[in-house]
Amino acid sequence: MQAAVLEISALVLGIFLLLCEAFAGALDKRRLAYGGIFGLGLILLASFFVTAGPLQPDAVGFWSFYAADPLALFFKRFALATTMLVLIMMLESAPRIQSGLGEFFALPIFTCAGLMWMASAIDFVMIFVSLELVTMSFYVLVAYTRRNPVTLEAGVKYLILSALSTGFLVYGITWVFGVTGETSLARVAAAFSQPNLERAPALFGAVLILVGLGFKIAAVPFQIWVADVYQGAPTAVTAYLSVGSKAAGFVVLLRVLSAFFILPQVQRLLVAVAIATLIYGNLAALPQTNLKRLLGYSSIAHAGYLLVGVVSFSGAAVGFYLVSYLLMTLLSFTVLIVVANSAGGEEISDFDGLSKRSPFLALAMMISMLSLAGVPFTAGFFGKFMVFDAAIQQHQTALVVVAVVTVACGFYYYLKVIRAMYWESPARAAPIAFSQLSRVTMTGLMIAIITLGVYPQPILRALSDASHPVTAQR
Amino acid sequence: MPPFLFWFFALMTLGFGAGVIINRSPIGSALSLVLSFIGLSTLFLSLNAYFISVIQVLVYAGAVMVLFLFIIMLLDLRAEERRKINVVAFAGGAAVALALFVQVYRIIGALGAARQAFPPLRSGNTDDVRRVGLLLFANYNLPFQIVGVLVLVATIGVIVLSKRELR
Repeated sequence: MQAAVLEISALVLGIFLLLCEAFAGALDKRRLAYGGIFGLGLILLASFFVTAGPLQPDAVGFWSFYAADPLALFFKRFALATTMLVLIMMLESAPRIQSGLGEFFALPIFTCAGLMWMASAIDFVMIFVSLELVTMSFYVLVAYTRRNPVTLEAGVKYLILSALSTGFLVYGITWVFGVTGETSLARVAAAFSQPNLERAPALFGAVLILVGLGFKIAAVPFQIWVADVYQGAPTAVTAYLSVGSKAAGFVVLLRVLSAFFILPQVQRLLVAVAIATLIYGNLAALPQTNLKRLLGYSSIAHAGYLLVGVVSFSGAAVGFYLVSYLLMTLLSFTVLIVVANSAGGEEISDFDGLSKRSPFLALAMMISMLSLAGVPFTAGFFGKFMVFDAAIQQHQTALVVVAVVTVACGFYYYLKVIRAMYWESPARAAPIAFSQLSRVTMTGLMIAIITLGVYPQPILRALSDASHPVTAQR
Repeated sequence: MPPFLFWFFALMTLGFGAGVIINRSPIGSALSLVLSFIGLSTLFLSLNAYFISVIQVLVYAGAVMVLFLFIIMLLDLRAEERRKINVVAFAGGAAVALALFVQVYRIIGALGAARQAFPPLRSGNTDDVRRVGLLLFANYNLPFQIVGVLVLVATIGVIVLSKRELR
C-alpha cells in the first residue's frame, strides 16, 4: 500500500463528517467526534501496512514533493495519535462550545492531513502549502469560542503574528530559490555544497526560513504570541497547538537543516537560539499562577530542549522527546479540561486539594508534572537524558550546562502544581464528573509515561530504522 | 521598456506602497495598495511576464482590493483615523525595517548576478499561460491539490466564525 493513501483517507473522513453534519438532520454532534476517533484509529492501524521507501533524489512530479521514508511514517503516526487524543479532549470540552460543534470536530481531521503532508514534505513548495493548511485551520480553531473576549484576542494575535512569520518563510524560500534555482531540499543541499555558492544570500535565505519555522516551534525570540494564544484558545486546541503544530515544525526543521547545516553559521545561530529559549521559557514560567499560561511557557522551555537535540544532529533523541512530550502534555491538558469544567477556572488555585476531591485526577496530573519536570522512571526523564547525551557527544558543553540548570528551575514550577493538589485544602468538596472515555484515555497515557520511562526500547527501535536525514548527512 | 518608464513605475510601486502605511484613513491605504499593484503589474509586463501581469491586476487590484474597500466602507472604520502614533513603537518599527533594508542592500551588493547586465529578453510569443498551466497541473499537481484542501478549510472557517449563534 502506498503511503499517500493515509492522507487521502483522512481527507475523505473529514469530508464525510462534514456531509454527515450537514445532511444527517438532528444528529447528536458528539457522534461525529466518535466517528472521527474511530476513523483516525483505522488510518493509524493502516499506517503499519504501508511500505516505506528510501528517498529518490532524481524523482520528478509527485515523488519530488512527497517522501515515504520511515521518518515520515513515524511522524504520520504521531500526528494521527495526537489528533485522536485531541478529539477526545474536545468531546470533554464540548459543553463550552456555543455553536458549530460539528465543524469543531471535523476541522482537526483536515489539520491532521496537513500535519501528515508536512511530515512527508521534501520540497519548499510542499512545505509551504502544507504548513499553510495547518496554520489556516488553527486560525479557525483558536478563535472558535469567539464570544469570549480573551479567545478573540488570542485569535487575532495568532492570525497577525502567524501571517507575519509566513511572510518571512516565503521571503526566505525566494532567496534560497534565487541563489540555487531549486526548491527541492535534496537539490538545494547539493547546490549549497558547491564551492562557488554565493554565501551571503544563501545564508540570508536560510535565516529567514528559520525565522518562519522558529515561530511555529515557539523558539525565542519568536515566542511572544505563545502565552496569550495558549491562554485564550479553547484548551483542547491549545493542546493540539502545543503538540501537533510543534512536532510538525520540528520535522520540517530536521529536513530543512539537513541542507542548511552545510553552512557552518547556521549551527552556531541555533545554539544561541536554544540557549535563549531554555532560559526564557523556564524563567518566565516561574511566577505564573494560571496553569494554562504556565503550560504555555513550559512548552517554550521544551522547544529549547528539543532544539538541543536538533543542534546535536540526533533525530532519534528529538523523536523520542516528542513522543514523551506528546504523552505528558496531552495528559496534563486533559486533566486541566476536566478540572476547569467543574471549577470554572484554570488557575493553579483551582487545583487546591484535588487529591481529596478526585484522587485519580490528582494522580494523573502528578505523573504528567513529574514527567514534564524530568523525574527518573518517567518518559520525560529519558527524553531529556537522550537529548543531553547527544549534546555531550557533540561537545556542546555550554548548552548542556544551561540545560541542566534550567531543568532544576523547572522542578520549582511543576512541583508548585503538585503542592497545590496534595497539601492545600479544597475550596469545595464536590467530586468531579468526567466521561469513561476520558478515564480510559488518561489511564492509558499514565501507563505509557511510566512504561516508556522504564522500558523505552519500542520507541527507540521504531526510531532507529527511521534513517535520519540529519545523521545521514554527517 | 525605456528606462524612464521603469523608473516611473518602480517609484510608483514603492511610493504608493509607503502610502499604504503612512495613510491614516483605511480607504486611502486600500487605494494606495491598488495603485501600487498596478505599478507592479507594469513591471511584470516589462519582463514579458504577461500572464502574471494580467493576474496581478485582475485578482489582486480588481477582486481582492475592491472587496477590501467594500468591507472597509461597510464597517465605517473611524478609530484608526483618531488613533495617535505611538512614538516608541514607531521608532522601533522603523529601526527594524531599516536594519532589514541595510541587510538586503548589502547582500544584493555582494551578489555576483546583481553586477552583471540583465540578459536581453526573447522577443515574440512567450506562450506563458500554457506553460504556467502545464507546470501547475502536471509537475506541481500535489501542492495544487493541497491548496484546494486549504481553501476548503478556509471556507468552513469563515462560515463558522461569521455565523450567528444558534440559541
